[in-house]
Amino acid sequence: MRSFWQINGGRMKKIALIRVDDRLMHGQVVVSWIPYLKVDEVLIIDDEYATDEFMTLLIKSAAPDNIKVHILSCRQALEYLNKDDEGTRILILLRNIEYIKKLLESNVKLNKINLGNLGSNPERKKYYNSVYLSDSELSILREISRQCEIEIKMLPGDEGKALE
Amino acid sequence: MDIKQIILLSVLYYWASSTALSLGVGYYTMYRPVIAGCLTGLVLGEPFTGMMAGAVVNIIYIDFVSTGGSLEGDQCLTAMIAALMAVLFGLSPVEASAAAYPFGFLGILIWKYRLNINSVFVKKYEKKFAEGMNPHIGIYDGLLPQLLLFIMSAAVILVTVFVTLLLRKFIINIKYVLFLAGIFLVFSSTWNILYKLQSKKGYLIFAMSLTTALLVNPSSYIIFLIVSAIILLLSNKKMKLILNSKDYETHGKNGKIRKRDLIYSWFVWMNFSHSCYSYERLQGMAFAHSMRNVFKRLYTGEEEIAGAIHRHSEIFNTEPNMGTPIHGYIISLEESKQKNKIADENTDDIMFIKKGMMGIAAGLGDSYTQVVLTPLFILMSVMLCFDNKFIMALVPVMILASVILIISYTGFMKGYYEGRNSLIERVNIVKNSRIKTYFPYIFSGILGVSLGKLLIIMFSGTSENLTIYITVGIISMVYTIVKIKRRN
Repeated sequence: MRSFWQINGGRMKKIALIRVDDRLMHGQVVVSWIPYLKVDEVLIIDDEYATDEFMTLLIKSAAPDNIKVHILSCRQALEYLNKDDEGTRILILLRNIEYIKKLLESNVKLNKINLGNLGSNPERKKYYNSVYLSDSELSILREISRQCEIEIKMLPGDEGKALE
Repeated sequence: MDIKQIILLSVLYYWASSTALSLGVGYYTMYRPVIAGCLTGLVLGEPFTGMMAGAVVNIIYIDFVSTGGSLEGDQCLTAMIAALMAVLFGLSPVEASAAAYPFGFLGILIWKYRLNINSVFVKKYEKKFAEGMNPHIGIYDGLLPQLLLFIMSAAVILVTVFVTLLLRKFIINIKYVLFLAGIFLVFSSTWNILYKLQSKKGYLIFAMSLTTALLVNPSSYIIFLIVSAIILLLSNKKMKLILNSKDYETHGKNGKIRKRDLIYSWFVWMNFSHSCYSYERLQGMAFAHSMRNVFKRLYTGEEEIAGAIHRHSEIFNTEPNMGTPIHGYIISLEESKQKNKIADENTDDIMFIKKGMMGIAAGLGDSYTQVVLTPLFILMSVMLCFDNKFIMALVPVMILASVILIISYTGFMKGYYEGRNSLIERVNIVKNSRIKTYFPYIFSGILGVSLGKLLIIMFSGTSENLTIYITVGIISMVYTIVKIKRRN
């Protein structure tokens, strides 16, 4: 059990941004977001990738040298994020919107959610530029938006569009 | 200007900004201001005047990087208009660049519009496929989007050339303002890229090379040779790795795929990777397009072929040159899938691998081809232009194009013959690249020399005294710092 003061902004990881992106750690993230956010660590939350040895090796070897990368399943990530920490700045990347809900449910403090690239599939409809959302995803996001800010933004320098 | 010239400029703008039909290297050559300016000048009869204007535009856009379809300003259009003004109105390169600068934003509108409108072709393709018509992917990925793009590009050229000619008097009247704006743009771009490099040694090297250039004005030809030697030295090991293809041609797979199928697939990919680029699929249609001949080799039934191509038309995006091991590897997977008669329903693995690999290759590729190789070689070309060595200035661009082609071709083949580990090998080569490590120093050095040479040209061209340059230099520095601070 974590003590009360820890929940209230004690010694935890500082989540600079959560980005929802089908492509996880790709060009825009490596070239633009990581230098812009000045994070020390990238956490990829993905049940599929976490169990895939080749992909884990590939992602880790491709990451910039000064950045620590963790690829964890959603359950592992919750544990990891609730551990004590010295305030490492961290960027979370994920593809699955439902994970955000789980993070919030277990009291992980998020200040901003960024929607980057969510590609089209038969269930998804175009929402804005490169963001395609299914009805259920949209309703989850609306629910989340009551607790924290959600913004559609491809690159740090772009003008963001808030989710309505 | 006559009608023939306008048509030629339309073709040039279309060809350069489309990046299609140029074996993938149009983006590294014709699209770059220095070359676009040169070609515009060529159409108008003064290639070197145009190239000079293009070189200045290139300095203004030197920190340009496009990742995943996002752009800041259209450097190609800006360079073409700058070259046009330099030739037709007799503006100096710096004045012409400033006057052309606003047109860059027009080009971006097209790019954004293109990302949206290309979805139309995706939908058409999907509809035909759903109707069981076995649509030809080449029509929807290649022909139609390119046709539309040509019409759009021609319209843009027509409008901008018309507006430019209309504003002729006005532009010539505000020459002095343009001159100031031009040096402001050049200076702020320089400060901005120096800030981005985040290297204290880089600042020092920049200051030293700028001073040297202003005092002794060393021959750019010699600097080019020295830098090339340094690059060769640094890339020694890497070059060997890239060129040493481990005889991948000999260990065949005894499957249906021939070497020439791979080459043709690579050829299609390189020519059309961004042809039908849309927010919806990004390079998905192009990936499917590049698989067409492969599936035609693997399957015999029309429907089977169309179905397999369609499977690969879902969203895809990567750095088109660094990411080619994915294509090669996917082809080998598809080949063994056909050989072992695995049903279409069990292709989730292939798609998962494809999607996982594409992001990595994009991050890795962009941070190398666009952030390191391109600025390095293009800036050398710019420097040679500022020394009036125009023919020589084409050499660095040609080297860049060849390097890109080698990276892309070897990746494709290795992906097929050596499998997915070839991508990891690639990751490690790029990460340990010494060119990447020393890039800030080499780049700052060339930047200092280039700026010095440009300033010398400007000193000799006008009667302005030094104070005006220093004033604009300081103002632009303050502006850049404020802008960066506000952004953070």
